[in-house]
Amino acid sequence: MSGERFGRVTTWRDHVVGLGLGVAYVALLLGTANTIGLARDEGIYVQAAERYAGWLSLLARAPGEALTRNAIDSAFAFNHEHPPLLKLLFGLGHLTQRNLHPFTTDSLAFRFAGMLSAGVLLWVIYLFGTRLYGARAGLFAALIYALLPRPFYHAHLLAFDVPITCVMTASVYTYYRSLESPRGFGPLCGLVFGLALLTKHNSWFLPIMFGVHFTFCGLLEWRSRRRSGERRLTLVPSALLWMALLGPLVFFGGWPWLWHDTLPRLKAYAAFHMHHEYYNMEYFGVNYFWPPFPSSYAWVMTLFTVPLTTLVLGVGGAGRALAVLRRSLFPAADGGNTQYDPTQPSLLVIGVLLTPLLAISLPSTPIFGGTKHWFSAYPMLALLAGRAFEELCHLLPQLKSRLQPLWALGLGGLLLAPAAVETAHSHPFALSHYTAAAGGVPGAAEKGMNRQFWGFTTRSLVPFLRQALPNGGTLYVCDTIGSAFQMLIRDGHLPASFHITGDIARADFALVHHEKHFAEVDHQIWTTYGSVQPAHVLLYDGVPIISVYENPRAPSRRTGTR
Amino acid sequence: MLRATLCLAVLLPLLELGAHAWIVGHVPALADYRAASDFIRAELQPHDLVTAAPSFIDPILRWQLGDKIPLAMAGRSDEAGYDRLWVLSSRGARPALDSTPLAAAELTRDFGELQVLRYRLPQREVLFDFVKAWPQAEAAAIRGGSTQPCRLQQGGSPRGGGLGRGVLMPVRRRFECDARNPWLFIADVVMEDLDNTPRYCVWQHPQGTEPITLTYRDVPLGSELVFAGGLYYEHERMREGAPVDAVIAVDGSPLATLHHVDGDGWKRLHIATAALGKTRGDVSIAVSSSQPQARSFCWAASTRQAPEPGPQP
Repeated sequence: MSGERFGRVTTWRDHVVGLGLGVAYVALLLGTANTIGLARDEGIYVQAAERYAGWLSLLARAPGEALTRNAIDSAFAFNHEHPPLLKLLFGLGHLTQRNLHPFTTDSLAFRFAGMLSAGVLLWVIYLFGTRLYGARAGLFAALIYALLPRPFYHAHLLAFDVPITCVMTASVYTYYRSLESPRGFGPLCGLVFGLALLTKHNSWFLPIMFGVHFTFCGLLEWRSRRRSGERRLTLVPSALLWMALLGPLVFFGGWPWLWHDTLPRLKAYAAFHMHHEYYNMEYFGVNYFWPPFPSSYAWVMTLFTVPLTTLVLGVGGAGRALAVLRRSLFPAADGGNTQYDPTQPSLLVIGVLLTPLLAISLPSTPIFGGTKHWFSAYPMLALLAGRAFEELCHLLPQLKSRLQPLWALGLGGLLLAPAAVETAHSHPFALSHYTAAAGGVPGAAEKGMNRQFWGFTTRSLVPFLRQALPNGGTLYVCDTIGSAFQMLIRDGHLPASFHITGDIARADFALVHHEKHFAEVDHQIWTTYGSVQPAHVLLYDGVPIISVYENPRAPSRRTGTR
Repeated sequence: MLRATLCLAVLLPLLELGAHAWIVGHVPALADYRAASDFIRAELQPHDLVTAAPSFIDPILRWQLGDKIPLAMAGRSDEAGYDRLWVLSSRGARPALDSTPLAAAELTRDFGELQVLRYRLPQREVLFDFVKAWPQAEAAAIRGGSTQPCRLQQGGSPRGGGLGRGVLMPVRRRFECDARNPWLFIADVVMEDLDNTPRYCVWQHPQGTEPITLTYRDVPLGSELVFAGGLYYEHERMREGAPVDAVIAVDGSPLATLHHVDGDGWKRLHIATAALGKTRGDVSIAVSSSQPQARSFCWAASTRQAPEPGPQP
């Protein structure tokens, strides 16, 4: 168990297991999405998806017309700061719903593609884990990833964070496989990289990570050849070459917006993300809105939001992997007797784990995305946790028990239990959720950690709103974007007699989503309504999520509920 | 070593599960808040201050007892004028007051996971509250050296809401100093300072180097005039605005100036008035700035009488 990897060749049975994991996860996501309101960004992507769906319909109906600049620009100008792949898939879900009605709500139709990507991600983690550390480790890695509270929340959304984690992890897997099987996996890696480019700009890091890894492997191979003359790794970077070839082809071919005015639009896309505006984010009681941002942010937030057992297993696995890596670098330390894996999977997994965390740690990198901006690290953490679990299982026979498989099952269940409990408890308030390491939700609130963002928690107010305003009314909805609120009506959660207004003074009820910088809205309401008393406060573990104020000047529509 | 590793692997998840159960199990129930609030409500006296600790439960306190928390209490600059402090406490937290070190609580009562504490506050008699009395003052804008009165207006409905909007305008009752520039008004508002703390204060936005003034007649001066002021959070946080000056004058003679530079936050002046040799006088506040754009200055002030020397209760 001291080697780089102790996995095995994957077979079709592994794909069946991976597929089963993915299907089960998607089913779980479909079953739990109903209580999560649309987030701010989702509201924007709904608008984009509807436009893109319109273009897809036109493409099917009149391809010549759809390919004109006018048709392309009118569809793809909206939200052109992000590549189109997921929005096209969200749009396909919308078209499917419109024609076949397979989903119970419109929001599920939009969200389905994102959920599918979460399922595919589990499949890839399982395969990767099996390849590196064995099927038991692969299964454990997939499950422990599935039970991360914040990724579980994001896996429900029509957003890019879980899909980009999926295609980035698939890129890492296919790149890794290409080191041994360049003919098949090289082109596949290029294709997946193209899809990653079409998903989100995080993919720009992939060639850098792979380049560093391949250089390292190449240097070790060169040293090995000089010593023994044995060839164990090709020095042709097949995957990188295919990425360079297929990546741009898929990217440009799949994004109609770039088919006209290509260079200016490409520059604008890059500039948007190189000079992204800053949003507010509370961290230990300070509202950060401008650089320098705290370098500790990603590390502390990982500690506070990833279940502790998961984290300790991941770090333990990383420690073991690093020890192997050290022996690769300094073979004299163990007499040069160990046979090393020339593909250096430990370096790859740890490199992919650390890269986003280090990038977020730069004082100039915005932190407004919370944990989602380093989600691509978590599959690697899960793989390392899988490695640690496998090593623990190998300790079990030494207990001289004849029930070793059952012990392994029990141990696995026990190690997964905190993550399962925390994830179940986090739903549907996962952005407000903090683990026991932070003192839980109230502990984090007391420490001054961000309470939520995106205004999606308005969904959790629906029972109160329906009861308090049975005939509907006008709401000031604070951080909830209009299209996200409209989805509550489209999905049937609220009747169409509810309307929103941007004027606090004209609303029957005014909402405040509790984030530090939204204190401003509280105070606007106090001054306008002449009172500091909310009519209702939505709580999660005793922590205020939303305050609802009743306008004393609006004609009373309430039935009276306290 | 093997057994230790396996023991850790078994104990860690159990500890994590236990910690989670403990945390969730110690969350105060809404019934605890209602019982604690009912108790405070029954015991409340005039000049009692009510607050919450830790501060994140403040919305729940206001939900249950908000009818007993006026804007002036929620947005206070300090604890002057209050005799007793009620604290609704969770997780063993104690309040951090702006200006008053707390002695031991004189009353403690448990309500499930909550605690109600009561403290005696040091006596600091407020003789005159300038924020409360703003409608009785005289407002004026100095333009080209001449004084132009700002008229008291009633009506209108504040527009909008949301981030970056600050104080919503028009405020329903206000001294209007320039109808073309709706921010040039004087009225009481709640505005967050640089720490996002609510401040119940008099909005007095400068118009330029010539001041906007507010004059109070025949004010009891006491021994001290405490003046505090600051700017709206988003107008101060980039630290790129011009300074704001608030000149406090008694009977036309400047007594002190609060020179506010971005980054100062809610800045406070303690001005001794006993040496003036008079018990009453006309107090004016004149606010100006060389670059008045986005200088949303708001202030609170009161005159106070220091307690006679002697044994403290």
